[in-house]
Amino acid sequence: MTQPDIPCALSERVAAYARERRLSPPTLARWQAWPEEDKAALLVLARELQLNENHLRDFLDWLEEIAVRDRCRVADLLTAPAIQQPLTAHTARSEKLKGVKEALRKIRYPRLSRLEADLRAAVKALDLGRQVRISFPPALEGDAITVTLTARNVRELADCLTRLHQRIEDGRMQKVFDLLDQA
Amino acid sequence: MEPYRPHEILIEQGEENAAVVRRALAQLPDVPVRIVEREWERHTKLSSEGDPFAAGKRRLLFTRQRAPALHYCPAGTPGLVCCNYLVISLISNCPMDCSYCFLQEYLANNPTLKVCTNVEEVLAAVAAVVDRHPQRHFRVGTGELSDSLALDPLLGFSRNLVPFFAARPNVLLELKTKSDCVDELLYLDPKDRVVVSWSLTPPDIVDSEEHRTAPFAARLEAARRVQAAGYKVGFHLDPLIEYPDWEAGYRETVARMLAAVELRRIAWISLGSLRLTPALRTTIRRRFPHTRVLSGEQVPCIDGKWRTFQALRVHMYRTIRGWIQEAAPQVPLYLCMETAAVWAKVFGHTPACDRDVARVLTGPHLSPPVAG
Repeated sequence: MTQPDIPCALSERVAAYARERRLSPPTLARWQAWPEEDKAALLVLARELQLNENHLRDFLDWLEEIAVRDRCRVADLLTAPAIQQPLTAHTARSEKLKGVKEALRKIRYPRLSRLEADLRAAVKALDLGRQVRISFPPALEGDAITVTLTARNVRELADCLTRLHQRIEDGRMQKVFDLLDQA
Repeated sequence: MEPYRPHEILIEQGEENAAVVRRALAQLPDVPVRIVEREWERHTKLSSEGDPFAAGKRRLLFTRQRAPALHYCPAGTPGLVCCNYLVISLISNCPMDCSYCFLQEYLANNPTLKVCTNVEEVLAAVAAVVDRHPQRHFRVGTGELSDSLALDPLLGFSRNLVPFFAARPNVLLELKTKSDCVDELLYLDPKDRVVVSWSLTPPDIVDSEEHRTAPFAARLEAARRVQAAGYKVGFHLDPLIEYPDWEAGYRETVARMLAAVELRRIAWISLGSLRLTPALRTTIRRRFPHTRVLSGEQVPCIDGKWRTFQALRVHMYRTIRGWIQEAAPQVPLYLCMETAAVWAKVFGHTPACDRDVARVLTGPHLSPPVAG
């Protein structure tokens, strides 16, 4: 005789997921300490994205930090359109994970994300071509930008330098440096 | 502020008659006492259950200090501007329990609250250094591994420290605190050689994150009292914590701080962004799961510590510098544990060398150096 299909208690399902993905005891304990609705919402997300220990720890960190800062519930955060959109998109799991993490990072780091977006837009507006690449320090910590030129011959190099020189002369490059300072 | 009361007092064998031990025992007659061997903590397996760091704070060990007396402040990290600060550690660990405190990580393996029994010997060793270099100015603090004053009602170390430093024209002592324990100081003459300084965060951060410290208003009242008794005062807006209402919180903090004391008797004000190592972040999460200090937009920096991302913390520094300099333009202001680039963005210049910062801070308070 088979046992009737009784739905497991939530904490048992979380523990089962932890066993399946070999989560560490501290990570599991942290998750289990959450309110039921938050715990359940993260379980849905974890199952969908097959989160491993490292990803799950990032999610726990960011979700707890946002919930404290914005005085909101994790369950509400995870069901918000910004998270649901990449989660329900018809894309590969790795793409979904990338999309959800990016969306959550924007909520966790709103000003830093905005500044990064502004800088990307400012660099794009410079229209330097594909052979000139401008990059910024990780997390914008520091005040130096890196300019990489790719050239197959002297003419290409001269073109790159001319474009750069023009952007310096017309003040548009200065705007990129100025933006780095604006929070 | 609640007076400190340990669960147990441990005394290293042979130190039972030290003045500080006798004073403490007289004040805590009903706390259990045990005599223990030298280096007891190193030879004892302490429980790792529950919260060993908090348990360590409740275990008071009197022990002889054998390590060198004077150290450079560890804030002097390569790549960061340093203010040439020296520290004396007469106490290790702190009766207070701020959620962001670095001691949680730094003293994780030896959390017992330890008090030095041979303070006279320690000060003699300090004298041997500072008296040998009368041409140099020294700035020395006792608030690195503990709060400088929180245990003063119990231990009375200010009675040793203030007269010692008051007698030395080339040294400035800083007593750094989040307490209001200043009664002992009021009967001593600092002769302008002692700065009592308070770490301040906005009142709601004090209430939620700085456990067992004096309330914000009590700190300012204590500052007013010591200033009236002849001490110079200092303030440290450190850690500077970024949270949704930081601007309103720090505006109020600066306004109340500057209104509480005579501006010309403020020795210095420092600003320092909250900085947390990855290990400390993990510890904070475990010990204070509802803390707000981890929720700012913090990122890893060149020294491996997490701080509010540069553009935002520069904005915070500039905003607060503006308020302070508008009301008190003459007060020396400096940054703690920041890069030269951040100094330049905040003040428009970078100190030429570390000694520049130290000179700006000690210059107005010490007599000109003796030629030598």
